[in-house]
Amino acid sequence: MTVNVGWFKTMAVGVLFLSVAAATAHAQKQVIVYTSNEDTLNSLVFAGFEKDTGIKVQPVAAGSGVLVRRLSAEKERPQGDVLWGISRSLLDTNRAYFQPYRSQNRDAIPAEFRDPDDLWIGNNLHVMVILQNTKLVPEADGPRQWADLLDKRLKGKIAFTDPVNSGAAFTTTTLLVGMFGGGEAGWGKVANLFTNAKILNKSSLVFQGVGQGEYSLGVSLEYAGYLWANNGAPVKVIYPAEGTVVQMEGCAVIKGGPNTTSAEAFVDYINRKDVREMIFAKTFRRPARQDVDLSHLPGGMPPLASIKQAPYDEKLWTEARAATLQRIQDVIVQTR
Amino acid sequence: MADIRIEGLHRRFGAVEAVDDVSLHIRHGELFTLLGPSGCGKTTLLRMVAGFTDPDQGSIHVGDRRIDRLPPHRRDTGMVFQNYAIFPNLTVAGNVAYGLKARRVPPPEIARRVAAALGLVVLDDHGERWPHQLSGGQLQRVALARALVIEPEVLLLDEPLSNLDARLRVEMRGEIRRLQQSLGITAIYVTHDQEEALAISDRVAVMRAGRLEQVGTPTEIYHRPATPFAAQFVGTVNLLQGTVVAREGARVRLRIEDQLLLVPAMVAPGSGLSIALRPENLRLLTPDAPCPEGWGSLSARIERVEFLGPLTRLEIAAGRLTLHVATTETVDMVRQGDAVTLAYDPARITVFAPP
Amino acid sequence: MRALGVRSAFPFGVTLIAFILLALFLIYPLAQVLVASLLDPTGTTLTFANYGRVLGIAFYRAGLINSLTLGAGAAAISVVVGVPMAFCLARLPIVGRNWLLAIAALPLVLPSFVGAYAWVMLLGRSGIVTQALASVGLPSLSIYGMPGLTLVFALHSFPYVLLPTVAAFKAIDQSMEEASLNLGATRIATFWRVQLPIALPAVLAGALLVFVETIENFGVPFLLAEDRPILAVQAYKLFVGEVGANPASAGVLSMLLVFCTVAALLVQRRYLARRRFSTAARSQPPELVVGAAGRIGATVYCWGMVLLALVPFAVVVVISFMPFRGPVLHPGFTIDNFIVLIDRASRPLLNTLGLASAATLAATLVGLPIGYVLVRYRSALAGILDSLSMTPLAVAGTVLGIGFVLAFNAGWLVLTGGWLVLAIVYAVRKLPFNVRAASAILHQIEPSLEEASINLGVSPARTFVQLTLPLMIGGVVGGMVLTWVAIVSELSATIVLYSGPWATMTIVMFQALEGGSPGVASAAATVLIAVTLVPLLLVYRLLRRHELSLT
Ligand SMILES: Nc1ncnc2c1ncn2[C@@H]1O[C@H](COP(=O)(O)OP(=O)(O)O)[C@@H](O)[C@H]1O
Ligand SMILES: [Mg+2]
Repeated sequence: MTVNVGWFKTMAVGVLFLSVAAATAHAQKQVIVYTSNEDTLNSLVFAGFEKDTGIKVQPVAAGSGVLVRRLSAEKERPQGDVLWGISRSLLDTNRAYFQPYRSQNRDAIPAEFRDPDDLWIGNNLHVMVILQNTKLVPEADGPRQWADLLDKRLKGKIAFTDPVNSGAAFTTTTLLVGMFGGGEAGWGKVANLFTNAKILNKSSLVFQGVGQGEYSLGVSLEYAGYLWANNGAPVKVIYPAEGTVVQMEGCAVIKGGPNTTSAEAFVDYINRKDVREMIFAKTFRRPARQDVDLSHLPGGMPPLASIKQAPYDEKLWTEARAATLQRIQDVIVQTR
Repeated sequence: MADIRIEGLHRRFGAVEAVDDVSLHIRHGELFTLLGPSGCGKTTLLRMVAGFTDPDQGSIHVGDRRIDRLPPHRRDTGMVFQNYAIFPNLTVAGNVAYGLKARRVPPPEIARRVAAALGLVVLDDHGERWPHQLSGGQLQRVALARALVIEPEVLLLDEPLSNLDARLRVEMRGEIRRLQQSLGITAIYVTHDQEEALAISDRVAVMRAGRLEQVGTPTEIYHRPATPFAAQFVGTVNLLQGTVVAREGARVRLRIEDQLLLVPAMVAPGSGLSIALRPENLRLLTPDAPCPEGWGSLSARIERVEFLGPLTRLEIAAGRLTLHVATTETVDMVRQGDAVTLAYDPARITVFAPP
Repeated sequence: MRALGVRSAFPFGVTLIAFILLALFLIYPLAQVLVASLLDPTGTTLTFANYGRVLGIAFYRAGLINSLTLGAGAAAISVVVGVPMAFCLARLPIVGRNWLLAIAALPLVLPSFVGAYAWVMLLGRSGIVTQALASVGLPSLSIYGMPGLTLVFALHSFPYVLLPTVAAFKAIDQSMEEASLNLGATRIATFWRVQLPIALPAVLAGALLVFVETIENFGVPFLLAEDRPILAVQAYKLFVGEVGANPASAGVLSMLLVFCTVAALLVQRRYLARRRFSTAARSQPPELVVGAAGRIGATVYCWGMVLLALVPFAVVVVISFMPFRGPVLHPGFTIDNFIVLIDRASRPLLNTLGLASAATLAATLVGLPIGYVLVRYRSALAGILDSLSMTPLAVAGTVLGIGFVLAFNAGWLVLTGGWLVLAIVYAVRKLPFNVRAASAILHQIEPSLEEASINLGVSPARTFVQLTLPLMIGGVVGGMVLTWVAIVSELSATIVLYSGPWATMTIVMFQALEGGSPGVASAAATVLIAVTLVPLLLVYRLLRRHELSLT
């Protein structure tokens, strides 16, 4: 019996210690950031922000779906101050949880990348690209356009993200339906693409997979390709010749959060020109503000203007989302 | 006064009427035995007294106290379990002290009483031993000491000796009886061993299928069994059935197989009767010896001889009737195949009402 | 085994308290989430239509079948691997047995998503082993897909079978096997016909845990199933998917998981109903005498299995000392990952240890009496309590977490925002471990011991505390270790509930692994392994000493 008592005591002391630690942690000014960004980006920005403002960042990091779900569950008594790293369409559908803030950098951001009522503001842009592992596929043999991905010889070699779990993948899929001729013809070709693809659960699995050599090709985000390539991985970024889409990510101040002033300071900070440049240099996030000259920064990323964008009706596809998802899922089932 | 009054007790398990309308009065200081074959409900009855099984109906009083609604830990009964249930995590002394601690007896007194109780069961030096270091008989005595040390109003023993070897059983039952008498404690003793029951009990209740078959002193049960079942279950008996052929005053002549026996009964010829005749109540006569006055006799032949030391058991055939006989005659007098006269005192025959 | 027929407020009190706690911290929050599955699209009318609709979709039916196959497969392998190993550890002179027992629970420490990452590093298409095999012209074994998944789960969770089964084999009184041998049965027949059946309740309890944990887990199939539908993954995506969030369908799939668990539990209960044994082991069975070959064989087998299960650990430890540039691994040696970690993870480490300990304590305090009442005072109510107390295992952490936010973020009981809510969620999620551990060990304690105590004047409640508890201690501490270890690796509920300074080590790992810093994630896992190894070894040492004093 004595054994057990000792064990209980140890635990009780541990709990006590923790409670004390918790009580002392509240003294400093802080901001709670719900972030769906990756660790590297988070650490970089939070450290800079703390140094700059003295405000301590308490991150809550999770996928954007989890964060939004948490946000809506907490709406009676919000626990967070800023939501960061969320796609434009998700920001739009959750406007009810935000409070307007007119950021100092508002005017540097093109109007299409911010909310007319200032409920959210864009930070960075993702261009949808094809990533190629040049160790698995010789550089010259890679695809040049979306249509090249339909080649039967690529079966099982392409990584794609499940559109249910990724806004970018949903956009890409619907873009391709239109690009491949629309209607049944378009869906038919998308089915051919899916036949070649492994549909992974999360977008990070796609670029990690290509970077690590698990998959030869991946339909993924531009920054990831540069990030892996510039850190020594055999990855090449391909901008498809038919044109592609640009996805915006942004942030918003959470309505009724515990530290709203700090939240606003954070929103100002992440869109500052020097901060965007710092972020770009380390993580290749293409800024939403268009006054950053990428040619002076490492990586050799082309300016947005030089990338061919295909026409895409975001509004239309957002409205048809439920039916479209069902259709996508049918296609996935049929092609397994 | 710790007499136990059980009234109209019932307990059913599914379709089985484990205890079926049992009423008993057990006197203060009495060692009362529940005797019966396995599955007849003895344990269930005992556990209802201890409080581990709830009666469906009926009441149990100890003295003036009604206990059947009390939780078991407040009934003040000391129970000795069939498997002893010695706590493996406590020493012998720890086991014996257990109930005293529960009663918040001061430590010095606990030590004294534990020592005394261990002395009582002759385990004086074993207090610091662990249960797994003890033999079966020693464990049994620890269980007894543990139950006795709390000086319960009632001692309950559920087949306490069934896990011991024959010699130890005989020795231990004497111990239990001695202790029970010297402490003057009221005890209910469950066993399926009739010899044990007869040897140590003040009174015995014979149970069958949840019901009481007979309650009485060992001699009453033995000599005047109330039912064929009781007769057969306690000791060896010649249990016979026949038809009355004639009446002779307070007796009848009963035909059993091809023999006629004199039986003390007053029924009309033609009726059927069951009788019981203990082996020791049949006497062997040499062919020329006279039959005692008023006795009956049969001509017979010795079929089998079994020498048991103090007595000899015989299987004897009288015509088509086979009888068990016990005699203290020396074995030289009885030999297999001998023709003998078998005499009996009709007064010693137990007659049962026709079934 | 016989129940205690004692008239007492104790079982009633325990049952009542247990029902209140489970209603408050399980049913109420779950209902907040799962009611969606019973509402029509307008959200006003109750309907079962969602169930019909979801089950009508081949994709989800395939997911259900895959999940059940996976759970059954992992459970079967765990039994096949774990039972012989348990017998060896209980009865054979295995070299380094005590070390082995101490690290056997270790596979559970590593969060399954980290383990899956390690397996990909080894056996993925570009994994180290795969490439090594390819370079000598051997076909590579794929870690993706059902066989790989099953194997990863089995290796991760077979300790659930192993640990209770070792205890069960040790608790069988020597006389049982002596009787069997005496009656002319061979050693092997004795094992099959006497020892295994007696240990079966423990084996099945462990197998059930494996089954349920496997079908509930989404971290591993998220990575390794690729595009094979798995119920837990689909439920997760429908629940918190960025695009296709559909609470109604997510609720349906979550409920399906709960149904599967309850069904598995009922099957197990039915099967065991007539097979309950108690064998008050007065003398622990002795070590069997085997030749050198037997000893070496058994030792190699046991160590081999445990080491195989620990391969992901080795990978993680090695990777934690390798340099990363951005997300890209480069050959070399560095301690940079740990330097980054010290800055980021000292508080989370304390959080993890403290929260796991507090929650383990709470789960034990609640689970132990429940387990006791379930075994000793069987009733219809206890049957319901039994199923209910197993349900948390089947509920995805994300679902329960969101339920907690919905239920306790505002209103009459506010819990969110601190450490307490995490401790409660952990305690609820792992409560079944404690209930199971308690009932498994109780099946081996002769109830007449408790009757003797009660008869001697000790109330049922106090008998439980002063007699039964000490007798149960081995099994209970075993259960506590499992609970503690499982909590240490909890992610899915934490991620929707943690806030402020209460991030745990799994959160650090998750963020790092997700965010392209596998080096930091590996370093965090390495630290966690080192830190949890110490209490594990300590507990087993103490336990051994305690056992010795009992024999
Ligand atoms: N807990 C129980 N559940 C069901 N049946 C029982 C239970 N206890 C006893 N019985 C049944 O009641 C009858 C009497 O049992 P018991 O009192 O143990 O008999 P004894 O002690 O005389 O051998 C038996 O038929 C037995 O099967
Ligand atoms: Mg009995």
